[in-house]
Amino acid sequence: MNILTLRFAFLLLPAVMLLNSQLAIASQDSVLDRIHAADQPFDNMQIESAHQLPVKTVLAKESYQGGTFRVLARKDAISRYRCSVCHTKKTPQARDGALLTHGDITINHGEGKNELACIECHDRQDRDFLVDMQGVKIDFDHSYQLCGQCHFRPKRDWLGGAHGKRVTYWAGERVVMNCTSCHDPHSPAFKTKMPETYSLPLDE
Amino acid sequence: MDHGKKKNAPLKKAGPLENKCTRRSFLKGVSIAAAAGSAGLVTGGCGSVASSEEAKLKWDEFFKKNYRLMTQEEKDATVARLEKLAKLRYGLDVQVSNQEPLDNVLYGYAFNITRCKGYMDCVEACVQENNLDRQSKTQYIRIFEMDSGQLDPTSGDGKYFHEVPVEDKFYMGVQCFHCENAPCIKACPTKATWQEPDGIVVVDYDWCIGCRYCMAACPYWGRRFNWGDPVVPKEEINTKQHYLGNRMRWKGVMEKCTFCVQRTRQGKLPACVDACPTGSRVFGNLLDPDSEIRFVLKNKKVFRFKEELNTDPKFWYFMD
Repeated sequence: MNILTLRFAFLLLPAVMLLNSQLAIASQDSVLDRIHAADQPFDNMQIESAHQLPVKTVLAKESYQGGTFRVLARKDAISRYRCSVCHTKKTPQARDGALLTHGDITINHGEGKNELACIECHDRQDRDFLVDMQGVKIDFDHSYQLCGQCHFRPKRDWLGGAHGKRVTYWAGERVVMNCTSCHDPHSPAFKTKMPETYSLPLDE
Repeated sequence: MDHGKKKNAPLKKAGPLENKCTRRSFLKGVSIAAAAGSAGLVTGGCGSVASSEEAKLKWDEFFKKNYRLMTQEEKDATVARLEKLAKLRYGLDVQVSNQEPLDNVLYGYAFNITRCKGYMDCVEACVQENNLDRQSKTQYIRIFEMDSGQLDPTSGDGKYFHEVPVEDKFYMGVQCFHCENAPCIKACPTKATWQEPDGIVVVDYDWCIGCRYCMAACPYWGRRFNWGDPVVPKEEINTKQHYLGNRMRWKGVMEKCTFCVQRTRQGKLPACVDACPTGSRVFGNLLDPDSEIRFVLKNKKVFRFKEELNTDPKFWYFMD
């Protein structure tokens, strides 16, 4: 009887080993399998260390994945805002000319004869606001609404997170940079410059 | 009798040196130093309080377990010892964290090869954040300047230093891809490297013997070796450290990108993502259907580097 069971065990062994290896392969999911399996929403707010942000933000007037998100406020970064302090009905004095003409701004936005003029984005009547092609006033904090009318593809990517960047945290409430946080609206292309550092060749 | 001794002790007012120099403590010091294999310490068996404290800490550090076998108490104890040792060595108040991975989180990374301009702010931020050796210029990230049409970084220039971006070139960053099926983990003979449940491939520096098998096994040049003791200026040391991340390393151990484990487990972005001025780097939770990394995977043209090797990296390249 002993020999019989032993023989039985030897017969069973390869089968068990095969089953084990099959199970091992099945349990080792690839990243894509795990991604496809994960369809439950993740509560980003449970990570408490990602709650406080020391920057001023505003609630975006667009939605992200059906929810809300925030963008960096812009108006505080504009040194001479509010514009209506100077842009009044009052006739400007000639001696203030150098200060008032915005001589420091060069426009390099739009190519060839499509180059933009100031009033294509700035509201002619109310200088505290921007204006889109349909004449709708747009707040400086929500300039993405203005940029998006031409740059609709980058805007679509920005809404989803493939363009632009989040501020400091991947968790917590979604706070992203505004278009104007990275791009100078008057000259939006990135400049060439020297790299921050350099690399040595790898020893291979 | 013991009781009486204790009563008398304050009256004696012995200096710390005198107090320490009993026969027993001298022998203890010698045995500690000898076991630690440090010839310099053998002569200091009856040394100052500071060095004997350091020797005691080093003694306990020497006999600790692999991080994965430690209980929570043992983890807390070793972290406390490392903080004390850093205080003794650098005079810095270092915080070494042993924060566990977050539930339901799998980190993923995407790199936009259309947007990257080769400014290398990411590389510099990584060096600062992770206390990388300044002397040998260790860097976890490499940026390659590539000819258009090429997708293999070996064809690119990894040591450019001129005004960027150059016309008709694009830039491709390579770092540890935190493969789900990582060859480096399989190569390690001491099980000093493994993948955490949140997908980060980490190294237990205390368990690493410096054989560099993992370096040879990695098809992405993701690992770095400390040929000498890393040199970091004291004022530049990042004091917010993690046991498996940017704590101070030493000569003869491997190190690698950890997706800035000390930052990401607190919900922060890795230093490279935070530093990128062009927004080429996207980081997030792959298990969150609403995360940005999932948006990129769903809506952009993505590819993985050397996908045919079946390493299953959690790092995608994408383009606009």
